[in-house]
Amino acid sequence: MTDQSVIITKSGERRSAQPMRQLTSSNRFIRWLKSLWGLNLLLGTISIGTILLFWEFAATLGIPGLKDVPPPSAVIAAANDLLVSPQYWNGWLLSFERIGIGFLLAQLVGIPLGLAMAMSRPTFGTIFPIIELLRPIPPVAWIPISIVFWPTREQSVIFIVFLGAFWIVLLNTIGGASNIDRVYKRAALSLGSQPRDLFWKIILPATIPSIVTGMAVGMGISWEMVVASEMIAGDTGLGYLLWQSFQIGAIAHVIVCMISIGIAGYLSSALIRAIGGFATPWLRLH
Amino acid sequence: MEAGRSTAMQSGGRSRVQYGVRLKRLVKSPRLYQAVFGIGLFFILWYLFVDFFGIWRFAKLPKLVESVKEWLSTDPVFGVSLFTAEYYKHIWASLVRVFSAFAIATVLGITIGILMGWRRIFFALTFPILETLRPIPILAWIPLAIILLPGRELPIIGLTFLAAFFVTILNTLLGVRAIDKVYFRAAESLGMSQWQQLWHVIVPGALPYIFVGLQIAMGACWFSLVAAEILSGSAGLGYKVWETYYYVQYPTMVITMATLGFFGYVSSAIVRITGNRLMRWRSEMLAGV
Amino acid sequence: MENTGALSIRNAGKIYDPEGIHVVAVDDVSLEIEAGEFFVLVGPSGCGKTTLLNVIAGFDQLTSGAINMDGTPLASPGKRLRPGPDRTVVFQQGALFPWKSVLWNITCGPVKQGRISVEAAKKQAREFLARVGLHGIEDQYPEALSGGQKRRVEIIRALMNDPTILLLDEPFRALDALTKSVVQEHLLELYDFSPKTVFFITHDLEEAIFLGDRVAIMTTRPGSIKKVVRVDIPRPRDHRILTSSRFLKLKAELGEAIHDEAQKAFEAGERELA
Repeated sequence: MTDQSVIITKSGERRSAQPMRQLTSSNRFIRWLKSLWGLNLLLGTISIGTILLFWEFAATLGIPGLKDVPPPSAVIAAANDLLVSPQYWNGWLLSFERIGIGFLLAQLVGIPLGLAMAMSRPTFGTIFPIIELLRPIPPVAWIPISIVFWPTREQSVIFIVFLGAFWIVLLNTIGGASNIDRVYKRAALSLGSQPRDLFWKIILPATIPSIVTGMAVGMGISWEMVVASEMIAGDTGLGYLLWQSFQIGAIAHVIVCMISIGIAGYLSSALIRAIGGFATPWLRLH
Repeated sequence: MEAGRSTAMQSGGRSRVQYGVRLKRLVKSPRLYQAVFGIGLFFILWYLFVDFFGIWRFAKLPKLVESVKEWLSTDPVFGVSLFTAEYYKHIWASLVRVFSAFAIATVLGITIGILMGWRRIFFALTFPILETLRPIPILAWIPLAIILLPGRELPIIGLTFLAAFFVTILNTLLGVRAIDKVYFRAAESLGMSQWQQLWHVIVPGALPYIFVGLQIAMGACWFSLVAAEILSGSAGLGYKVWETYYYVQYPTMVITMATLGFFGYVSSAIVRITGNRLMRWRSEMLAGV
Repeated sequence: MENTGALSIRNAGKIYDPEGIHVVAVDDVSLEIEAGEFFVLVGPSGCGKTTLLNVIAGFDQLTSGAINMDGTPLASPGKRLRPGPDRTVVFQQGALFPWKSVLWNITCGPVKQGRISVEAAKKQAREFLARVGLHGIEDQYPEALSGGQKRRVEIIRALMNDPTILLLDEPFRALDALTKSVVQEHLLELYDFSPKTVFFITHDLEEAIFLGDRVAIMTTRPGSIKKVVRVDIPRPRDHRILTSSRFLKLKAELGEAIHDEAQKAFEAGERELA
């Protein structure tokens, strides 16, 4: 192994030291390349670029499977198509709307419930078991019941989004609020704070990082749920558009929808993370 | 003469005495009764709102008593109960898919995740692709899965695999990154080669995160399985849920949902327990101090 | 026994540049450490002693000066000898692999390098453990051990590699005073049993004088050597020398100097760098 260093045996004999690492190259470009940033950028571009190239020429190269998929050029053409269609942007609006409402509801119900459960043992002991019983049922399996129960399609879709995000936010809130180091609470009490203050000034702020994590993960789940619901049971929205395009064989459009939803999901997660950053300035020190 | 803390814990399991003690404590504590109360309340409310009163829209929901009766009957109205082959046919179909997808995702995901955490160049090559593909919801892949993969089973398994795959890679990567750098320094200082560091520092060190990831991946597997089965399946619990909706067989719908929940829970528990056994050293860390 | 491990540190300097702030961690340090001696470097937190140790161990590089070990170059600007079992380190926060047993931890160095058979390693490990009063803990996981036990195990792990220089980075910092005094005595026992060149850094003056053949005082950042004093208390030593007149004299001699530096460090709000 070339990485072994000097080994000195008991008899004093030494095996030769391996060559030392030298700081080379005065060439600025090569040094930037070797720096973390430069290397990542270069290799990243190479790998994505290579894949795009293979994809584009998959048909001529005869790559099995991939050749049946519309190449990037077709996808770009389809994108041009969709980007001017009102149905597409309407889809964005509607999907975001459903996410917004479902996600928000999940926070409004989940955070207070989670805090209550973390702060009161009896509450936890009563509610947690039934939560654990219901949680393993995939939210998608709730779709039929949701459709049966709720008067409108819209409401049934929002319910599924709510359900998906709800479990996550609940667990993260309970986790965060239960794991507050006892020391902080004791310090507050010995400094004379009332239980009411304890909640607003210690428990809540200390739980916020976990809540934010729950939100970020929950947002990802919400997008999965919205897409699933729209594909299975919807008649509008980006997910529905994707499934529709598939049904009529417009695969390039399908890919555009995939990318769009991906971007939408990424944007919403980034938004959540930014809000989370604002809410927890003390975590941004380094 | 020091012998360290309780060696009973070291034997890798708990003595029968400790189980007996725990059971007694459980019966005496309020937790058992709270659990019974909470779960019982749920079923009572269900019965009251749906079966008994049939208030508002609740009347449309499947009834509790009917569903339970159906599940336990030897000659169920809609053909699915504990005693019918149909029931187990769907269970088996789903289990096979989940198991194969999860197994492949675990092996590939952990390998790639570790490589990404270990070798910077590998990371730089693969991370951009990963981050580009990851935000796309799993279900959005269904059309491509159907096109790229032959047959009916493979697209479903492929989708289920994909969900678990991304989660596993990410958590494995996080796990490798989370290993305190001092362990690498210690290993270097002790003369371990890169390969030895891989097996003795990286893999064991990342294991906690890996298993958290595997539990999440298992959940993700069931989620995508159900959705994929609904959209393109012909057997399996997910498919059955949709079929029961379509043919208005609500008691069976409840049975299927509950079965899904059961197997989801059991499979996650298996992963968790496997993790606990592989990481015996953690029981000290968590139990002690 | 071993008579190698003479360390020659000449005008060593280390400048950090995190986020554009120019930080001089180590400033023109020169020391000559004799083969086989127990050398202690004392200084306030953040003074650069850990940085110096890291450079000797091979985890970091100098920006000026040079370090040689037995005449072989060890470190110079832009170059470093990779970390290895010739300069094993005992880390401040403890680096016993929590997922391996105590015995595995102790024997992994020589066994993994292929220098010794597993059986022979186990035998040697048990000898060491017996020396410091640890029996029957070999199959336990590190987390089951107390702080003092862990430190002893880690020191033994380092010694098993038969290093030319043993590097200890404030190893007893996290121990309470009572445990600390016991473990210090065990360290000295191990040193007498298997003498090596030892480079020990600490912030505790009493510990330094108790353990060392020579004690050097490092100034607060930028760190340089303020004073080097020989501790002429004969070995073997035990805790009773802590109240001897020679010990108290040395303590008085060095006490003012170090208190000065501690005061300066406090006012500057120093934090550990590496």
